[in-house]
Amino acid sequence: MVWGMSDAVDTHLQELRRGTVVLACLQLLREPGYGYALLERLDSHGLPTDANTLYPLLRRLEKQGFLTSEWNTEESRPRKFYSTSADGIRLAETLQQEWRALTESLSSLTEPDPAHEES
Amino acid sequence: MSATLTERYISATIRSLPAESQEDVRAELAASIADAVEARTEQGEDPEAAEREVLTGLGDPAVLAAGYADRPLHLLGPRYYLTWRRLLILLLWIVPACAFVGVGLSQALIGADGGTIIGQAISTALTAAVHVAFWTTLVFVILERTGADTAETWSVEDLPEPKESGTGRADLIASLVFLGLVLAALGWDRLIGLVRVEGDWLPVLHPGLWPLWTLLLVAIVLAEMVHAIVLHARGRWSTGLAVANTVLALLFAGWALALFANDLLLSPELLQLARTAGDIDAQSMHTLGVILVVSILAVAAWDVVDGWLKTLRDRRR
Repeated sequence: MVWGMSDAVDTHLQELRRGTVVLACLQLLREPGYGYALLERLDSHGLPTDANTLYPLLRRLEKQGFLTSEWNTEESRPRKFYSTSADGIRLAETLQQEWRALTESLSSLTEPDPAHEES
Repeated sequence: MSATLTERYISATIRSLPAESQEDVRAELAASIADAVEARTEQGEDPEAAEREVLTGLGDPAVLAAGYADRPLHLLGPRYYLTWRRLLILLLWIVPACAFVGVGLSQALIGADGGTIIGQAISTALTAAVHVAFWTTLVFVILERTGADTAETWSVEDLPEPKESGTGRADLIASLVFLGLVLAALGWDRLIGLVRVEGDWLPVLHPGLWPLWTLLLVAIVLAEMVHAIVLHARGRWSTGLAVANTVLALLFAGWALALFANDLLLSPELLQLARTAGDIDAQSMHTLGVILVVSILAVAAWDVVDGWLKTLRDRRR
């Protein structure tokens, strides 16, 4: 049975999801947020992400200038807050557009093609 | 009091990171772990079990550190793998074979018995193969880590010609490396000596060859190099190239045989040593001589025939 090959299926699912974490982070961090809270919010939006993927990713995006960060020491536990920079917002918009275009292209694959129907 | 699991985990993670980012990662990771543990204990979980669960979820600190440092988790990535593989295969074809022949010959010349000759030759070839594999790989691992460019970008021009007969780049490199080794061996033999007997280096070739005969051999080798380059540039064998190849092969065979026949090829000192130290009688000496002559003729004949066969094949396509 096809679903018996769950390793292959898992790999394909992972490949498909890989790039979406970046987009999700950039969108969620339009409001400043810290590591663990972001992890929870991603989870609650149906985008569960591994902590060991997310934490390094946040630093990488910061290094690339798509996020800015600031230590908040007002609360009992000092936390590093990230927020999407102007560059990050532009990147998020580009990625979001691409995602929509991909969704459309992919759904068109299984829809009957009107141009083809006529011939 | 010993360090908590969390402290140990964080230390293990940041240990390999650049010093300037260590404290920042430590503080952030500590907060993230504390947040995650707290979320679990609020659900009524035992604090110790919660800590274990959270750290287990974060996985191997080395993997996490590689994520922070943006380091590859493989020895060689796709960027260098093919170049590494091509070069390694090429070198493994050339170097151990040269070592095998070289050591075998020099052992035979100093009069070692058959078992020693083969044993020494095989063990040297194996050692050479291990060295080639290790050093080549090390260079590429360093390239992978430093991100240097090998400047080898593929283009359609790299596509091999159909049915090429030994005119590709690999053949060119193989020829040039081999001929370069011959030149190096000549120079080494002249300056230091190729065979080591009881702590002394002895030249293999007759000292009387210098300078005229040695330079003639150098000229032949250089002509072979030019031939290899022209062959590669043309991309196919032609009658002219086959003729040149034949002339060069005959020149070399003639050079070696003329000198050998006049006892001018091999160093008399070495032969003397072979007779005494190696305890080889005149009969065996004669046999060895015949083997040498036959090998020289066979190599030359094979080279000539090979050139013409490839010319014919290239003409047919």
